[in-house]
Amino acid sequence: MTTGTITAAGRLASGVSQRPTTFGDTLASEWVKLTTLRSTFITLGAGVVLSVAMTALVSLAVGNTWDSWSPERQAQFAPILMTMSGNVILLIASAVFGALAVASEYSSGMIRLTLTATPKRGQVLLAKLLLVSSITLVLGVMTTVSMFLVGRAVLESYGISMAGLGDTDVQRLVLGLGVATPLFPIFGVALGIMLRSTAGAITAVMGMLWLPQVFGELLPAGPQKLLRLAPQSGADSLTVAHFAESPLYSDPAVGVGIVAVWLVAFVGAAYFLLNRQDA
Amino acid sequence: MIELRNLSKRYGDTLAVDDLSFTIAPGRVTGFLGPNGAGKSTTMRMILGLDAPSGGEVTVNGRRYGAIPAPMQEIGALLDPKAIHGGRTAYNHLRWIARAGGLPRRRIDEVLDLVGLTDVAGRKAGGFSLGMSQRLGIATALLGDPRILLFDEPVNGLDPEGIRWIRSLLRQLASEGRTIFVSSHLMSEMEETADHVVVIGRGRLIADTSIAEFTRRGSGNHVRVISPRGADLTPLLVRAGATVTASDGTLIVTGMEAPRIASVAAEHRIELHELSPRRASLEEAFMELTQDSTDYQGGTANAVAAAQTAPVLAGTGTRS
Repeated sequence: MTTGTITAAGRLASGVSQRPTTFGDTLASEWVKLTTLRSTFITLGAGVVLSVAMTALVSLAVGNTWDSWSPERQAQFAPILMTMSGNVILLIASAVFGALAVASEYSSGMIRLTLTATPKRGQVLLAKLLLVSSITLVLGVMTTVSMFLVGRAVLESYGISMAGLGDTDVQRLVLGLGVATPLFPIFGVALGIMLRSTAGAITAVMGMLWLPQVFGELLPAGPQKLLRLAPQSGADSLTVAHFAESPLYSDPAVGVGIVAVWLVAFVGAAYFLLNRQDA
Repeated sequence: MIELRNLSKRYGDTLAVDDLSFTIAPGRVTGFLGPNGAGKSTTMRMILGLDAPSGGEVTVNGRRYGAIPAPMQEIGALLDPKAIHGGRTAYNHLRWIARAGGLPRRRIDEVLDLVGLTDVAGRKAGGFSLGMSQRLGIATALLGDPRILLFDEPVNGLDPEGIRWIRSLLRQLASEGRTIFVSSHLMSEMEETADHVVVIGRGRLIADTSIAEFTRRGSGNHVRVISPRGADLTPLLVRAGATVTASDGTLIVTGMEAPRIASVAAEHRIELHELSPRRASLEEAFMELTQDSTDYQGGTANAVAAAQTAPVLAGTGTRS
């Protein structure tokens, strides 16, 4: 490694034009950040691949054992839900992606560079949210559609038939779940700002994702109703509820409201804290 | 130009920065000195809008940092060389920063060349040594070709060659008319690099002067005298108004310039084997000024300091 020589030539006569930085600059820099880290591709790629793989495995298992199921059980289980069984992995991978997108900057201290390059902190938050949402949205829809196609193909090979993507109910489930993917990544981003640690943000977003469902089974009916207000319950009310039943599901209109309130609360808190924090 | 006016920062009960007011001017290297915990890094973070002041204000070229439309092109900073994501290559690290500042890609190559990291630009930054990370941080600060540069302890962990390189870089940048603000613990290095010093202790301003003036103030200025008849010379000097400490045949004389000492000796036909004036080092002046402001002092250090300021002969002609 040679040292730079400080000569007249080394002087920075760069002719850099003095134009103010724009939101486009911030957005582009966040894109560069995401695409220059191998861990981004690994997390998201693994999420997509493993989701589809899991769906395939579950569909295989169901297909193999279907004939041994009782008629009541066969009637109860909408096979189409089996095709979405890999969604759990998609949820985890995308939530972790969202949490890391912000929290890793705090744990490394790089957030200071980000905020000196772009002192308008609201702009930084918006850019991160936009990118995390759009990436997880696109990948989410790709994944749910792939899962459906793969799962359906496997199940049909065992003689279990179901409607195709042309069916509106199927669309609601498959596309709905795909479109719902950005929800927890957004919480991950917000939690990263609130907690300023990667372990904290990941733990918190996983807790938000799973605890209501886990406790839903254990709680008595009264408190259980409260869990309808959990974000995932709200989201599922819009997508899965048509094919399955659960005490945690509400009316679709209520579901929208629940999700909206959680989003506004988290994004609002993140905006407020980011502007107030000492970096 | 950076201006601080009554700048204060409180964390809970602690007043980390206490009513600081000073100006950092262009065309010279201004050193920012203070013991650990004096508030230097906090002050720098407030200049950059990272921490919000509890009181007072700080402006960069007359504006709050947040109000600067293209901050990277006006002021660049190196606060912490390790504040990078280790999984990213050095080139890509500079790439996202350049992008955020709306700067062209060729700037990346230019600053890499300036700091000498072109060959390792494709390597992951996590594998860099501290010296390489410092250079990457300097490259980052220079991306926008800013007229103002802030460096928080840039020579920490560098080998002598690296230190020398930074020193010449800072002086070069200052000679171009830029405003250079460098914080450091290395007093000797400050002496070589800075033109002007701002000294703080426990968050408060202690001194804001030129380097020359600062060392001149230090009471460590003395003259070393070695004479075969030192015992005879000492009372003569004391009577003439000087203060003399004798140690191992060497006289340390304060309060009298060398020519006068030579005259006194000549008057009484006393041979002198050595007569050398010593300026207080920046280190000594600094230690003296900030002695009361250091939060954390080791026990041994205190004992040594006490011994060094031990009783000085004055008018008795004997050692105590």
